[in-house]
Amino acid sequence: MARLDINSVSKAFGAARPADGLSLAVEPGEIVAVFGPSGSGKTVLLRMIAGMFEPDDGDILIGGRSVVGAPPERRGIGMAFQNFALFPHMTARDNIASGLRASGNEVASRVAAISKLLKIEHVLSHAPRELSNGQKQRTALARALIGNPDVLLLDDPLRNVDAKLRYEMRLELPNLLRRGTAAVLYVTQDYREAMAIADRIAVLIDGRLAQVATPADIYAQPASVAIARLFGDPTINLAEVSPVAEHGVLSATVAGARMRLGAADGAAPAGACWLGVRPEDIAVSSASTDDAIPARILAITPMHEKAVLLLRLADGTEWLAALPPDVPHSAADDNVFVRFASDAAMLFDRATGLRIGPTHRLKAA
Amino acid sequence: MEHSSPAGRVFRGVALTLILIFFMFPIVWIFLMSFQTNEQILRIPPRVLFEPTLANYEALISGQLRTAAGNLQISFMRNLFNSVVLSSAAVLLALLLGVPAAYAFARFKFRLGESIAFTLLSFRFAPPLLVLLPLSLYYQELGLNDTYFGIVWVYQLIALPLILWIVRGYFEDISPDIEHAYRLAGHSWREAFTRIAVPLAGPGIAAAGLLSFIFCWNNFVFALILASADKQPVTVGALAFVTASGIQYGQIAAAIVLSVTPTLLLALYAQRYLVEGLSLGAVKG
Amino acid sequence: MDMLELRGIDKVYRSRGKAPVHAVRALDMAVEKGEIVALLGSSGCGKTSTLRMIAGFEDVSAGSIALGGRRIHELPPARRKVAMAFEGYSLYPPLTVRENIAFALKSAQLSRAEVTRRVDEIARLVEIEDILDSYPRAISGGQQQRVSLARALVRDADLYLLDEPMGQLEPQLRAVLRGRIKSLLAERGMTAIFVTHDQTEASALADRIAVMEGGVLQQFASEKELKGRPANLFVASFIGEPPMNLLEAAVTRTDGGFRLSVGTDMAFDIGGAGLDGEAAKALAGTFQVRIGIRPQKIAVGTGDVRVKVVSNQWLGDQSHIAGDGGGRMLIAVTPGRVAARPGDIVPFALEPRHLHIFGSDGTCLRHAEVT
Repeated sequence: MARLDINSVSKAFGAARPADGLSLAVEPGEIVAVFGPSGSGKTVLLRMIAGMFEPDDGDILIGGRSVVGAPPERRGIGMAFQNFALFPHMTARDNIASGLRASGNEVASRVAAISKLLKIEHVLSHAPRELSNGQKQRTALARALIGNPDVLLLDDPLRNVDAKLRYEMRLELPNLLRRGTAAVLYVTQDYREAMAIADRIAVLIDGRLAQVATPADIYAQPASVAIARLFGDPTINLAEVSPVAEHGVLSATVAGARMRLGAADGAAPAGACWLGVRPEDIAVSSASTDDAIPARILAITPMHEKAVLLLRLADGTEWLAALPPDVPHSAADDNVFVRFASDAAMLFDRATGLRIGPTHRLKAA
Repeated sequence: MEHSSPAGRVFRGVALTLILIFFMFPIVWIFLMSFQTNEQILRIPPRVLFEPTLANYEALISGQLRTAAGNLQISFMRNLFNSVVLSSAAVLLALLLGVPAAYAFARFKFRLGESIAFTLLSFRFAPPLLVLLPLSLYYQELGLNDTYFGIVWVYQLIALPLILWIVRGYFEDISPDIEHAYRLAGHSWREAFTRIAVPLAGPGIAAAGLLSFIFCWNNFVFALILASADKQPVTVGALAFVTASGIQYGQIAAAIVLSVTPTLLLALYAQRYLVEGLSLGAVKG
Repeated sequence: MDMLELRGIDKVYRSRGKAPVHAVRALDMAVEKGEIVALLGSSGCGKTSTLRMIAGFEDVSAGSIALGGRRIHELPPARRKVAMAFEGYSLYPPLTVRENIAFALKSAQLSRAEVTRRVDEIARLVEIEDILDSYPRAISGGQQQRVSLARALVRDADLYLLDEPMGQLEPQLRAVLRGRIKSLLAERGMTAIFVTHDQTEASALADRIAVMEGGVLQQFASEKELKGRPANLFVASFIGEPPMNLLEAAVTRTDGGFRLSVGTDMAFDIGGAGLDGEAAKALAGTFQVRIGIRPQKIAVGTGDVRVKVVSNQWLGDQSHIAGDGGGRMLIAVTPGRVAARPGDIVPFALEPRHLHIFGSDGTCLRHAEVT
C-alpha cells in the first residue's frame, strides 16, 4: 500500500518545458489517466517517475518517501510501454519472470497465475517475435504486474494493438489493474480509453495539468474550451457569441437566431464568449421556430451507430450534429433548423478559454 | 513490378558468372600457383594444366627455403603464429575497451562526447608512417619496441575506432525502453548492459570484431617498423621470399593460401551471426 | 453506369523458396460513377493489393480492369487517369506544401491563376491555408496527411484512390473533414475508392463498403445493409463497434417454431411465421447454431436475462456495460448513464426479433428484423 505524490515537478529540455509545476496525488488502488494531445508531456512525466530522467525541480514520493535520485530498480515500479519493449532473446515466460527474485517453484506458480489472468498461458514458451501484437502487449502487462509494484505506469499500452483487442482490453484492464493495491498512472491519447479505464483523469496540456477530475465531470464540466475540444467525438461545436441577460434569462445570437442559454443567475458573463454545444445535444428538424438556427446539411457521415450531420449555419459556421440512428433525418443538401436545450450550452471566456457559470449537465440515467 | 521473363533470367545468370570469374580469378590463380614450381609459373604462355607439387608447402612448414643460391632459413610458421597471437589479442583488447565505450556514446549525451568519438575515428585518417616515426622513438625509450604488447597496443589504432563506430550504431538501434524495462524489473545498469544490450548487439559486435581482425591481420607497416624477426607477422615475414637470387613465386602463393585460411575460416564461422537479424520482434511491428 | 469494373481479378505473389501468396482471389466488383467505395479489412486481407492493381503499381495475375470503358490494366500508372493519396504521404521534401499540391496540376496545362485558385480552394477545405509555404519536414504528421489528401483531390481524374486517407488526422478535425470531403466528392461527382482498416472511417465516408478477408470479397454493400443483413458470420462479427455478441445455442422444435437455448438460463422462441422457408428448413436440420445480437440492441434494466456486471463505462455520450450471464460475456451499449457497479446483478433484455442466426458453417440463416 503506497500512494504516489508528485509535488510541483518541472522539467525543461532546452526551450521546451514538458513539465511545468505538475502536482498530482494517486491513492493506492486508484487509476488515474494522464490524457492530453501528443507532445503535451505525458511520457516525460511517466519517465521521471520511473527514474529514466530526473526532474529539474520538485519532488516525487512513493509511499511518502522521495524517490528522486534513486535508481529505477529501487523504486518499486512496474511499467508497460507503448512499443512493448519485450526482451527479444528471452521467451515470454522469461520476460514475465525477469523481475522476480524468488525460488524456482514460486516463480513458476506466480508466472502461471498471472498468465492465466491475461490468457497467455499457451504462448509462454514462445519468443517475442512469434507473438501477435496483442499477445506481446499482454506479456508486457504480465511483466509489469507480476511483482505487485507500488506504482504501475502504463504508457499508452493499447496504442499498437488492433481495434477489436483494444476494446476487449478496455473492458478487462480496470479490473485487472485494481486487483493489487498499486497506484496506477495510465497514459493515453484516446479520450474514450481514458474515460473507460480511469477513476480520475488528469488532463495535461503544454506541461501543465489543466484539470483533474472524474471522467463524467470532465465531460460534463470541462474547465476550459481546450479541454472541451479534447473530449467528445465528434468534437464539440463552437460559436462566437456575446450573451445578454434579460428578465432573468441568458441568451445569445447564434447565426442570426436568438438562442436561450439558461437562467441568468446574477450578472451575465461580460464580453465575448465561446458557446460550446456537443454534437449529441443538437436536434435537427425541418420545422422552423424562433429558437432555431437555419442550416443546410452538407454531408451525412454515420459513426458509432449514430448519424453525424455536417451542417452549415446561416453565417457559414460549420457545426456537427450526432443523431441517434433510429431518429429519421433529412438527406444531404436539405435545409433544416438546429436547436439545442439551454442546459446543453456551455460558455467559455474568449480571452482565457475558461468555462463560465454553473452547468447543470450532469445527466442521470 | 516483377521482371522475370526467361531471357531476363538467362541474362542475369551470365552476368553473375562473368562478375564471379572477374573477382575470383586472382584467388584461384594464386591457389593454382601454390602447387607449381617457380619454373612452371614463369613459363610463357602460362598453362592451366600442370603436375602439382607440394614442395612449396613443405618448404614453408620445414622453414627451409631452397633457391638457386642455396638454402635459406625462413620462419614462416613462427610468423603465422605471431599473426594469430597479435590479431586475436588486439581484437580482444579492442572489444573489451570498445564495446563499453560504444555503449556510452550511444546511450549517454555528455559534454564533448561527439568530439571524443570523432577524435577516435580520426586515428584512421592519419597516415600510419607519419605516426610511426615518433612512435618508434617513444617505444624504444619505453622498452616497448619488439614486444607483443607494444604491437597489440599500436594495433588499437586500427581496431578500436572500427569497433567503436560499428557497435555504437547497433546499440543505438536497440530501443532504450527494452533496457528501461529490464531495470524496472529490478536489475542494475550493469546487468542491463551485460544481459540485454550486449546480447542484442551481438551480431554487430561479431561483425566489428571480424572486420578489425581482418584489418589487423593484413597490417604491414606497424609490425615492419616495431617488430624484429621473432615477433613479425606473416605480412612482414613474406619479405623473406624476395631473395638475392630472385622471387620465390610458388612459395609466396603457398604462404598466401596458408595465411588467408584462418581469416577465411573465421569469416565463414561468424557469418551466421552476421546475417542474423538485429530486430527480433522486441518492439511493435 | 459503371465507372470502374474489376473482373475476375487474381493476385499471386511468388518469391523463390517460399510458397506463393494468393493475395486476391477472383475479385468481381463494379463501382458506379460518383460513388465512394471503401475497401475494408484487417491487414493482409488483400485490400491494398487491390488498390495498387487499380493504380497500376502491381500487375494483375489474372482478370481485367476497366475504367470509364477503357481497359487499363495493361497501361502504365500515369496513363490510367487515376489520382492517388499514399499512406506514407510521399510528399516531395524540397517543395513547399503549395508547390507539392500545385505539382499535381502540372500536366493539366492550367494558367497560373487557375492553379493558385484551385490550390487555395482545396487548402481551405482541409485547413492547411496557414502552412502552404512550409516544407513537409516542418509540419506534423496530421498536417502531412491533409496535404497528401489535398494533392490527390486537387487533380482532375476519372478515379481517386486513397490509401488509409485519414488514419493520422487530428481527432478534433476528423469528423468535420470527413463531412467536407464527402460533400466535395458528391458535389463534383467524383468517383473514389479508399482503403482502410477502420470501420468508423469506412461507414462515415463510403456509399458502399467492400469487406475483404483472406483475399476474398465477403460482401459489398452499404453500411446499413452490412449491419442489418450481414452475408455471413465473418461480416457480422467484423462490422459493428463494439462487435456483435455471439452465443452458441441449441435448437429444439416447438409448436410452430423453434426454441434456441443458450445454456440453461437463456432461451429464445423464434416463431415459424417470421422465418422464410429456407431458414426454417435449415433450422430444422441442425441442433446447434450461433446467435448474434448487437450491443446497441440489448436493453439494460429490463428483461429476463440476469447478468453480473463486470464493467460499466460511461464515455460521455453512451455507456458500455459488460455483464457475465452464466459464464458468457454480454456487452450492452446504451445512450444514457446506468447506475450499476461491478458485481451488481442487472437484467438485460435480448429480444428474439433482434437476433441474427448463423449456421455452423458461418452462413446466415436469419437476419434480425430491421426497425
